[in-house]
Amino acid sequence: MRYDSVTDMIGDTPLVRIDAAVHGLRNIDLYAKMELFNPFGSVKDRAAWNMVRHRLPGAAGRGETVVELSSGNTAKALAVIAGMHGLPFRSVTNRMRVPEIKDLLLLLGAQIDELPGRSECLDPTDTDDPLTRMYHAVSADGAGYLHTDQYFNDLNVQAHVHGTGPEIIADLDGRAPDYFIACVGTAGSSSGVARVLRAHDPAVTVVGLVAEKSDFIPGIRDIDEVHEVGLFDPGTYDVIEAISSDEAIDGLLTLVRRCGTLAGPTGGGAYQGAVRYLRGIDAGLTGRRTAVFIVCDRVESYLSYLRDRRPELFRQPARANSVHSLTGDELAAAPTLDVAAAQAWIDAEQPLIVDLRSPFAYRALHIDRSINIVDDRFGEMLHGGLPFSRRQPVLLVCPVGEKSARYAALLTRMGHPDVRSLTGGVIAWRDAGATLVRD
Amino acid sequence: MTRGVRLVRYLQPRVEGDLRSLLDDHPWLHQVAGALGSPLNLVLPDQVARNAERFREVYRAHHLSGGIYFAHKANRSSALIRALAGVGGGADVASLGELQHVLAAGFAPERIMATGPKSREYLWLAARAGVIVNADSVTELSDLAGIVAAHALPRVRVMARLSGFATTGTTVLSRASRFGTPATGTAPLWDVLAEHRDRLDLLGVAYHLDTVGLPEKAAALDGCLSAMDDAGRHGLNPRAIDIGGGFGMNYLADAGEWESWTSELTAAVLGRRPPLTWNGHGYGLRNEGGTVRGTLGVYPAHRTVAGPDYLDRLLRTESTAHRRPLGELVLDHLYELYVEPGRALLDQCGAVLLRVEDVGDDGRGETLVRVAGNGTDVGLEQHGVLMDPLLVPRGTPAPGGPAGVYLTGNLCLEADLITRRKVFLPSRPQPGDLLAFANTAGYLMDFSAGAALMQPTARTIAAYRSGDAWRWCLDDRYWPVTGREGTR
Ligand SMILES: Cc1ncc(COP(=O)(O)O)c(C=O)c1O
Ligand SMILES: Cc1ncc(COP(=O)(O)O)c(C=O)c1O
Repeated sequence: MRYDSVTDMIGDTPLVRIDAAVHGLRNIDLYAKMELFNPFGSVKDRAAWNMVRHRLPGAAGRGETVVELSSGNTAKALAVIAGMHGLPFRSVTNRMRVPEIKDLLLLLGAQIDELPGRSECLDPTDTDDPLTRMYHAVSADGAGYLHTDQYFNDLNVQAHVHGTGPEIIADLDGRAPDYFIACVGTAGSSSGVARVLRAHDPAVTVVGLVAEKSDFIPGIRDIDEVHEVGLFDPGTYDVIEAISSDEAIDGLLTLVRRCGTLAGPTGGGAYQGAVRYLRGIDAGLTGRRTAVFIVCDRVESYLSYLRDRRPELFRQPARANSVHSLTGDELAAAPTLDVAAAQAWIDAEQPLIVDLRSPFAYRALHIDRSINIVDDRFGEMLHGGLPFSRRQPVLLVCPVGEKSARYAALLTRMGHPDVRSLTGGVIAWRDAGATLVRD
Repeated sequence: MTRGVRLVRYLQPRVEGDLRSLLDDHPWLHQVAGALGSPLNLVLPDQVARNAERFREVYRAHHLSGGIYFAHKANRSSALIRALAGVGGGADVASLGELQHVLAAGFAPERIMATGPKSREYLWLAARAGVIVNADSVTELSDLAGIVAAHALPRVRVMARLSGFATTGTTVLSRASRFGTPATGTAPLWDVLAEHRDRLDLLGVAYHLDTVGLPEKAAALDGCLSAMDDAGRHGLNPRAIDIGGGFGMNYLADAGEWESWTSELTAAVLGRRPPLTWNGHGYGLRNEGGTVRGTLGVYPAHRTVAGPDYLDRLLRTESTAHRRPLGELVLDHLYELYVEPGRALLDQCGAVLLRVEDVGDDGRGETLVRVAGNGTDVGLEQHGVLMDPLLVPRGTPAPGGPAGVYLTGNLCLEADLITRRKVFLPSRPQPGDLLAFANTAGYLMDFSAGAALMQPTARTIAAYRSGDAWRWCLDDRYWPVTGREGTR
């Protein structure tokens, strides 16, 4: 397959059957529309491209910046497309909550503006909320912005009216599925596909999925937030159901572990929501039915989201020589010295002084002749074994003498005969009037 | 009737501990309100001391030292201030009057932080008394140095308030502040402090951001750490970072009530259910062609992380510049940490009582309850806090179950509503009943109380325990020894 431009690869995604042994529905064939196969990784590639393509000619010459309110896949696709056409891209968001996506956007060259939080000491007469102000600024004519306005732009819906919807019908041999299930973000994909399917067969049932309130599933809205979406029309959906992040992750795990489909949380949510909805119907069916759900994007960008919610999935073997494994007795027996004794010991033995504070703080002020290894890095080194000779006396210091005592206990357990912790830490040292230097 | 019950949308206040016990004592409440009139403010001085201790626990968990300066502006009560003086707390004052008030309450000068816009009189008294001056600008510092020189006053400890912090990675936008020197242009600050070295002692740098957003505050604290380093390189010796207030309060008992109320408000704005507010007020939301536009302009009344927990969360937040928790960075540098909580220190510290004067129908199917007090006596509407009062019946509660009512005030103004939200009560109130607005000590009590139309302003009384019984005295009669004669 040969293409002139990567944007020609957008769309024409496969429709893949989910094994009945996995979903357990007896009378329904369940298919996944694999939007994760789009070149920039998601269903939003279609909308992004359709919203900007006709506005690209001459945009660079006019010095325009592409701007969108997005913290996820639309921003990703627009950042790539803007980059290909020599335009800057700016994403404005109040919900940049997935670190991998943030880093990826920065890598792609996007500028990300995070909106301020709500005022703590509220002035209700101040109607000037930052989002509205931003919206007016980027929408004004001649302001130098190419604002794609995904929540209100009908071209977002059209991308699916002309692409996603007809593709599904073609892949089902010219028939509309009986059930169509999709998560709702901007409502672009679900509205566009629903329009095409209904026109083909008015009997199709459309299920819209939103996040449970005060839950968070990256890429979609909760039941209140959908009402802020211009493209959202409750009449599009026969049913709107809420799914929890827990259910979305369960679905994601089924798709990635059993179906060879590396779906992100909304793909998992759509699968889980589809099976939950269809299970009730399946029992009463006599003939065969077909259902389609959308897998919007891929799992890799959500590892920290998953780690936060399901730490047990990332279980790692316990590491050797960890401060967390110290017993109360070992801690109590940690060898320590107070400031006066430490000063005498330094004069007599010239121990290696290891300052465990951050380099930034160490640079400003420290005990003369000490070296700096920040505590977490020191901990990493100890996993591998003793980092200095047993014949080298060592004095450990930290701000208050607590962490240094832990590491002194650990080094003692690891067989170092002459390690001490400075009691009360650098604070006690300073308060005793002992010298601190800045190199 | 069942239809009526389905429409009930309580936002019940979170009321705990001593405040709960006091507000459950209905005969006591009627007795004091009968004697002192409506409106009446209650404050609980022992509770503010316990709240300060909870902040102290967060300090201990992070091994940090430094002062907790109560932002006086949140309440004018003398009892609360004196209770804090009694347990070694600090005070953040924002005017000459507040400074005089806390000096008279017994705060040692190093426990007083003078913030806010400053007159020459305010600067003189601050310098004379030896309190810490938290300066908003370079000009303020040179004015202060001038006063110190002209009046041969001792060297003054100063903090330099900063604003407009730069961020790394993403651009974290923040509302512009009227106060503070731009953190990106501190050179003139260090120059003026070096020039007046023998008059001004730079204790550290400060910020206060009016936001609930943690990323903004983390960026500001990061910026302060850099500024401290910068000051050190300019030969100054700063020791403390003041991160201001804004730790927030959780007002509501039940997250579910808050979530369903806000959902229902959206539905009401879209015309999908009957209004929940006076004249369909949207609190910032509006209906544009079937889509909700605007932003809900109210205080986030239910918060899972507020007060000391919010401070803890901030200290655990990783610095984007140094990839290490901010609390550990402050400690690594041996800096002290100062905070200026206002609202958060007053959690469960008070209530406003209003007497029901009249209950009637407005002819459009709504129940109006007129109370002896107005919107300046309990600032729910002014500060965007949405919650129900507690009903304290005088006799047998009216039959008929829960009631949704609008609360109107005693001013001859159409706009005088205690809150534009329809409040829900377990039964229809009756004249002579009391409404207790719980947990209103922070900003909602006397922040803007005045004597509009010559209506009476509230008296404030301090309530304290004596064994199992509640006792009280007028606010300005309360001292930390009050009611503790037995213990000396
Ligand atoms: C991961 C993910 N899933 C689902 C959606 C929902 O798609 P739509 O915006 O077309 O409703 C989005 C859109 O932002 C998304 O990013
Ligand atoms: C400088 C300063 N510090 C502290 C506060 C207290 O804020 P809060 O009551 O939100 O903690 C304020 C409030 O306006 C303030 O301006």
